[in-house]
Order: sequence, then C-alpha cells, then structure tokens
Amino acid sequence: MTTVQQTKRKLLSEDWYRHTASGVELLVSDCNTCGHRWFPPRSACSSCASEDLTRTHTGARGIAYASSKVHVGGAPWPKEYVLSYIDIDGVRVLMHTNSDQALTPDTPVTIALGHIGTDNATELWSYIAHPVGKDIESPEATS
Amino acid sequence: MRNVFVAGAAVAPFGKYKDSTPAELGGTSALELMQSVGVSPDRVDTGFVGSVYGGSLIAQRVLQRVGISGQPIFSVENACASGGSAVNLAFQAIASGIADSAIVVGVDQLSTFGGGALPLTTADVETAQGVIMPATYAMRAQRYLHQAGAEPMVLDRISVKNRGNGAHNPRAHFQKSITLDDVAQSRRVADPLKLLHCCPNSDGAAALFLCSEDFGRDLAVDLVRVRASVVRSGQFHTSYRDMTWPDITERTARAAYEMAGITAADLDVVELHDAFAIAELLHAEALGLTERWKAHVAVTAGEFDRDGRVAVSPSGGLLSRGHPVGASGVSQLCEMYWQITGTAGDLQVPGASVALTHTTGGGIFGVDNGACSVHVLAAD
Repeated sequence: MTTVQQTKRKLLSEDWYRHTASGVELLVSDCNTCGHRWFPPRSACSSCASEDLTRTHTGARGIAYASSKVHVGGAPWPKEYVLSYIDIDGVRVLMHTNSDQALTPDTPVTIALGHIGTDNATELWSYIAHPVGKDIESPEATS
Repeated sequence: MRNVFVAGAAVAPFGKYKDSTPAELGGTSALELMQSVGVSPDRVDTGFVGSVYGGSLIAQRVLQRVGISGQPIFSVENACASGGSAVNLAFQAIASGIADSAIVVGVDQLSTFGGGALPLTTADVETAQGVIMPATYAMRAQRYLHQAGAEPMVLDRISVKNRGNGAHNPRAHFQKSITLDDVAQSRRVADPLKLLHCCPNSDGAAALFLCSEDFGRDLAVDLVRVRASVVRSGQFHTSYRDMTWPDITERTARAAYEMAGITAADLDVVELHDAFAIAELLHAEALGLTERWKAHVAVTAGEFDRDGRVAVSPSGGLLSRGHPVGASGVSQLCEMYWQITGTAGDLQVPGASVALTHTTGGGIFGVDNGACSVHVLAAD
C-alpha cells in the first residue's frame, strides 16, 4: 500500500485577517474615543486606554512603503525572501512579498494568503503582498 | 539636582571571546576601572550593569568579582540602549543625592549565538513574520535613499570612514581600514545593505565611574561633567510611521540639549548608534547635526570626518568597534571621557570639549526603537 504524505499547513495570525472575494482583508480596531486605528486588533486602545473600540477591516489593496530582499534567512524562512512594509487603510503592516526583488517604494499591492516559511514539515502561511498585476495564487485552490 | 561627573573609564577590547563568560568580561572591565580610579569597593555606593543576554542577576555576578556586594545593585535591560540606560540610572542616583558614587558596567557576549542576525524578541508581531534587524534597517535605507535622492554609495562611504577611524582604536573589534571596493564587493545581507554596512556581533564590556563633585575632589583623576543624561521610550502606534525620521532620537536629543544648555552646533564630537551604515544618516539628522535630507551630503563632503565640522564616531563607531549590545552605550561614554580629557591618543579630536553619545534599542514592532539614551559630556 502506498502512503501519500500530506504536507501540514499552519496559518499564522489567522485571527487577524479574513478572506473575501477580492483577497485578504486585515482586521483592525478603531478607537471610538481618540480615533486611533490598530493592527493587530486589540481590546483596549494603546493610545488612550479606552475599551470603546469597533472591530472593522481594511480593504485588500495597499502601497509598499519600503521593501528589502533578505539574503540571510534561516529556518523557518526561505534562504532568500522579500519583506515589505505595506500601508493599507491607515495601518502599516510588515509582510512577505511575492517578488524576486525588493519592491520600489509606492508600488501598489494586493493582499492574499501565501506560504512564507516551513517549520520542519509544516508550511507556515500568512498574509502576503502581491505587486498589482502579478498573478495571485488562490487560497482555496492551494489549501 | 547635583552635578554629576565621570571619574574614570575602562573598556576591555571588543572581539570574540568564546571561552569567557559575560560575568568574566564585565568583571575584567570593572577591575581595570576600580584600579584606574583608585577607589576601594566599600566606597562604591551603588552599581548598575546593562546587558541584554547576560542572564538573571548579571549585575551581581559582575560586581561580586571586584568586591562590590551588599550595596544596591541593579541589572538593566533596554535592548541596545541597556548600557546607556544603566548610566542614566547611576546619574539619577547621584544627581538626586541618594548616592555619591556609582559604578556602571555594560556587557554582552554575542559569540554564543554563532553568526548571523541577532535573535529578536519572541512573541512579536513582526518577528513572527520573519523580520530581522538588518531587514528593518535595509527598509529604512531604501526609503531614505528614495526620498533624499541619495546615491547608495554614501552607505559605502560611511563604512569606509568609520572602519578607517577604528583602525586606530586598539579597543575596536576591527582595526583595519577598508576601501569602497571592499564594501561594494561584500556579500548582500538585506538589500541595499551589504555585510560591510553592518556592525559585527561582538563580545565585550565597558565600565564607567560616576560621582558627585565632593566625592571626586579626593580622587587623583580627571573629572568630566555629565551635562545631560536622558532616556526616552518609543511612542507606540501602528499607523504610517516615517521610518526615515527616528523621532525617539529627536525627542531624546532635544531633552538632552535643554538639560545641557547647548545646541547641536556646540558639539565637537559625537558617538552615535551606527549599528548599520544607514543609521548614521538617520540619527545625524535627528540629532540636528545637519539639516533634514542633508546627512548624505555631509558625509560625502567629509563634514563628519575626524577632522571635519563635527567628528562622528571617531572611535570607529559600532561598525568598527563592534556591538556587544549591552556594552555599546557605556563604551561610547568611555571613548568620550578620553576625548574630553585629551587622552584619546590616535583617536583624539583636537580641542574636543563638548561630546554627545547616543544609543537606541529596538527590535519590537510599533515603535522606531524601544529605548534611546543620549548623554552630553563637557570639559567644564
């Protein structure tokens, strides 16, 4: 009998985003007292300590603020990978980036779910930036 | 608030000491300091040891080696600003009148981690996504070069300048000059940063003796006044942070200038936190050494050279001396004590009478850096 080895998958920070038809939207908290927006979402405002927060979400498109190709990755990350700070509807979020090179500042991106590393035999998946125009792997198709 | 003085400094040469321990490294510096100042352990009122990876009760383990036990002793962890933060606590103790004398030691031993980037705080949002410090500084560099319209070669020039200075420093981890070509050909770490744009992970320790004016009067050493000692924390938010403007440095420096009664234009010599070459540009601007977006011009024009308008990192900086994180802030102050007392040897900046040291400690998301310390020393 042949045994097919299944690759295990672990979703990182899965409480911080949701899937929509347009991609991955990040969950955020808006403070109704001082107006600050927070990612990851929180139960108390880190500016005014109010607990009067509304849970909402960003869109699935952002802009690269800065980006770098890292050449000294160690486990669980790939040997080389691109990281970018993405500005998206009021929050700046660090994420892996589907690109061979650092993105030029101000490059528009869409957010999707993607494979960012491997911990032993377990694939680590999280939100990931895709330069606009680059094909995005559908989470449904790859899960 | 009473005046506070530096009465002595000691730095064990930075490098790789795998067969030692943090307590041994710190103890070596503390012993050299005590001997040079000429005080017995019972005359030390309090002690502070800055360290990130030294482990629990590192202060006791270091200071017991030189007979300082029983007094109030504190271990201080504030990332790369640990040593500077320890000095600040000693300053507060003496300025307030709680203590007349204090020993400060900074120590870390990073060779135990092997090579590569330092491990960052676990359970951090960005660490969980794969960030390392070189990547953070690389993204700051990319954005700065983009907005300032600066040539990437300016980063090479900073490394060449500071490694050239360090070639004259017997305490530096690297004591050899490098060329622009060496930097350009070094391996890529995180674009646009290459290996020679990054400081080495080092082992080392530094020690400083602080005291009141009355206490110092009996010592047969030169006294240098600490005109300002300030620590600030990073302001946390997750919105659009300007990563080309380290506001924690600007806030800390502004408070230090006010305490010292000086402006940036009064500075003769500066040791800033150049853990990566880009940091010299960012912090030079935030410290007010040059106008916004002009630090790259100042570097290229030689304004930060040892004989330039204001000497930046004449000791070689972290890029050359190395970065045993908890020791860095204390060793900067040691270098400045020698500059102000005119005993810096081949590193001496002629006529240096007002000096500034600056360290930042980072590695968590949502802030520029977690902590920043700025000190001003003056000859008066």
